[in-house]
Amino acid sequence: MALLQIAEPGETRTKEACATAAVGIDLGTTNSLVAVVRPDPESGAGKPRALPVDEGSTLLPSVVSYTGGKTPIVGRAARRLAAEAPRETIVSVKRFMGKTSADPETRRLSPYQFAEGESGTVRFEVRGRAVTPVEVSAEILRALKARAEEQLGMEVRQAVITVPAYFDDAQRQATKEAGRLAGLEVLRLLNEPTAAALAYGLDKRSQGTFAVYDLGGGTFDISILKLVEGVFEVKAVGGDSALGGDDFDRAIAERLLVEMGRTRDPRLVRQAIDAAKAAKESLTRSDRVEVEIDGWTRMLTRAQMEEIIRPLVERTGPSSRRALKDAGVPEGKGLDGVILVGGSTRVPAVRAYVRELFGLQPLADIDPDEVVALGAAVQADLLTAEKPQHDVLLLDVAPLSLGLETMGGLVEKLIQRNTTIPTSATQEFTTFADAQSGMDIHVLQGERELVQDNRSLARFRLSGIPPLPAGLARVAVTFQVDADGILSVTAREQLTGVSQSITVKPSAGLTDEEIERMLLASIEHAEEDVQARLLIDARVEAQRILKAAEQQIENNGDLLAPDERQAIEAAMQTLREAAGAKDHRAVQDAIQRLDHVSAEFAKRVMDRGIERALKGHSVGEFEQGELSPHAQKAYSALRDD
Amino acid sequence: MPDIHPICWSCGVSRAPTDALCPACGKVQPPPPPQGVLDKFAVLGLPRAYELDERALEETFRAFSRKLHPDRFVRATPRERRFSLEQTTLLNDAYRTLRDPVRRAEHLLALRGVKVAGEERSGAGAMPQEFLEQALEDREKLLEAKMEGGPDAVARLAEGVRSKRQEAMEEIARALREPRPSDAQLRRTAELLARLRYYARYLDEVEGRAAEI
Repeated sequence: MALLQIAEPGETRTKEACATAAVGIDLGTTNSLVAVVRPDPESGAGKPRALPVDEGSTLLPSVVSYTGGKTPIVGRAARRLAAEAPRETIVSVKRFMGKTSADPETRRLSPYQFAEGESGTVRFEVRGRAVTPVEVSAEILRALKARAEEQLGMEVRQAVITVPAYFDDAQRQATKEAGRLAGLEVLRLLNEPTAAALAYGLDKRSQGTFAVYDLGGGTFDISILKLVEGVFEVKAVGGDSALGGDDFDRAIAERLLVEMGRTRDPRLVRQAIDAAKAAKESLTRSDRVEVEIDGWTRMLTRAQMEEIIRPLVERTGPSSRRALKDAGVPEGKGLDGVILVGGSTRVPAVRAYVRELFGLQPLADIDPDEVVALGAAVQADLLTAEKPQHDVLLLDVAPLSLGLETMGGLVEKLIQRNTTIPTSATQEFTTFADAQSGMDIHVLQGERELVQDNRSLARFRLSGIPPLPAGLARVAVTFQVDADGILSVTAREQLTGVSQSITVKPSAGLTDEEIERMLLASIEHAEEDVQARLLIDARVEAQRILKAAEQQIENNGDLLAPDERQAIEAAMQTLREAAGAKDHRAVQDAIQRLDHVSAEFAKRVMDRGIERALKGHSVGEFEQGELSPHAQKAYSALRDD
Repeated sequence: MPDIHPICWSCGVSRAPTDALCPACGKVQPPPPPQGVLDKFAVLGLPRAYELDERALEETFRAFSRKLHPDRFVRATPRERRFSLEQTTLLNDAYRTLRDPVRRAEHLLALRGVKVAGEERSGAGAMPQEFLEQALEDREKLLEAKMEGGPDAVARLAEGVRSKRQEAMEEIARALREPRPSDAQLRRTAELLARLRYYARYLDEVEGRAAEI
């Protein structure tokens, strides 16, 4: 410690930079990888490299087994336990991230025993205890972190973790939580296809519009990206968060089990799935293969397998076409290339279908298993290095629309899918009953019109709305989506400034205690200069209030006696001067003073508004002056009733 | 009333409210306070006009993104990170509005204090009666064509709506090119924009059908 303190500041930083690494992690359904950009000692140039983390391989099977002692087993060793301990060995946990126990995903063909969580979160029952998908994923990340540290000989603290572009808010939150739980600072959640494009774009130094067709173990993603001068702009994403190679295995296993006509105990199901997977893999090279399950054998040809999986492969068509349309790329032309990502794109039938779908020979020169992790490593380098190896910028999009429940169980979309992030949107709502004091805010994600067909992200209540006639209170609801694609929502009543805000939680219903327990020490505190921030906020507030006061004087000046007007204008002048100086308390005081001298005036203005509304005074004229289009809409809709 | 000129939080130099970066020290600035209609042309430093060089718009957007995006501020102070998030949010919104001719036209009207009717689902009430009747009739014809006429009949109807859309776009462009459009022209433009919304929904429905086939 003492040595560190006497070192030159510059030196300390270099030492720190050398002692830790920022990595890219592909937390996959089937396999997970970790990659890093390290400058070449000779040339100084840095290329991303996937690290061997499991028995010499760069692929760590995403399998966690709770069979042993206290420490769970991860990777190949765990996978070998899957057949004999199917319930205690969690395979493809990614499918369960952010899911509730009511989700169809938890009712599919699988050997697991589920425990019911208090708040509906999925929990695997293993050896008498319940573990959440977030905890299972954290085990995988912990293993990757430890093994990467071993390989690199330095601490790994920060990571970019990839997620399918089509992951919803809950799934993203869950992934971020898993990272924190594993002791990693998650620099960014990066969409997998974007990561892949990053790896390719740098490699080829190319420009143009590309489709990334990413069919992994459990998810299908399609992204359309435009690359110009080092800026990757994602134009559109689409996909299916529950379609992948695992479904091929399951479909094949299902067929085999039907043919066997045996009871489906978990062990047999596991064996059938493993046999199906092995058969699928060898059929990428040969035309026929012998399948063996528990002493029963059968010959399976490639044509037969392709017939079983065809409906699944074809499910990638509609979302691909929609993404092209959303990106404004005419079908059949306008694309410069198609990039294949994900182990499932090794299946010849998939490649043939992609060629047919896009009319282009797909690119697959970077290992489709590694490409996502390599891209993530590049992004980690971009975000952390003093001098990144490449000068590129990624502009990503919100994968799904975000909206609010409105009257009649309809969804009002505030943010459309494929909007470049970060983004925000504000919509004004009004009360529908006289003296209504609260408003329920229900946040939804999805493309459908009806609330029930979308994913419910959060509900909260804005209370403390001042008693006013129906349609007069104005509640502005603001959505802000950050660069990770994570949403926060603020509701603010405009007259009084009453506001409530939330960051949408890892909603698959984790309770607060659970989150707290998981987070423990990793709470991040902004070390911001509080004073300076208070001053900026006070100035902004001062400008807002001055503008409002000016407007009110202009519109309703006739309600003021000359001396009242003089007092208000003097207070405004004081506030202007305070806002120009550096003391936030003086600004606050001046705001309060102005507030005080104009209180009577504000009351008169409000009375005038209410009087007009109650008289039914030419509603059109009133609304134009006072209400936002949205409030007007709600207002007129109510009158029509 | 005198304007308050914001000053750079870092070096104290006076700057324009829409300056995302301080002209003197280059530090990222807080966005202008949310009041009135923000001029999205100013966000991108472009002249307020309907005619716009799309290539230049794209290049400007990329150039600003490179400077303002949160990825460029991962190592900065929390305050700068917050400003970067807010500025990029504004930038993305401005770009989304300006690159689309319809949204751009709507924004130009909004800057002149003219609102476009029918902004959302229930807003059609402000449209003239004859247009609504025509719309209803068009919908029935489309439904009929979908049920009985098959793809050709649907395509013919879509073609008709597309040419109406084209005409409306041209008229809007003409009106907005005027240096001083009259109130009547602005109102007419607002109505045409409301019609465009209707045409867009109609064509979406047609394309929904095309995807089914």
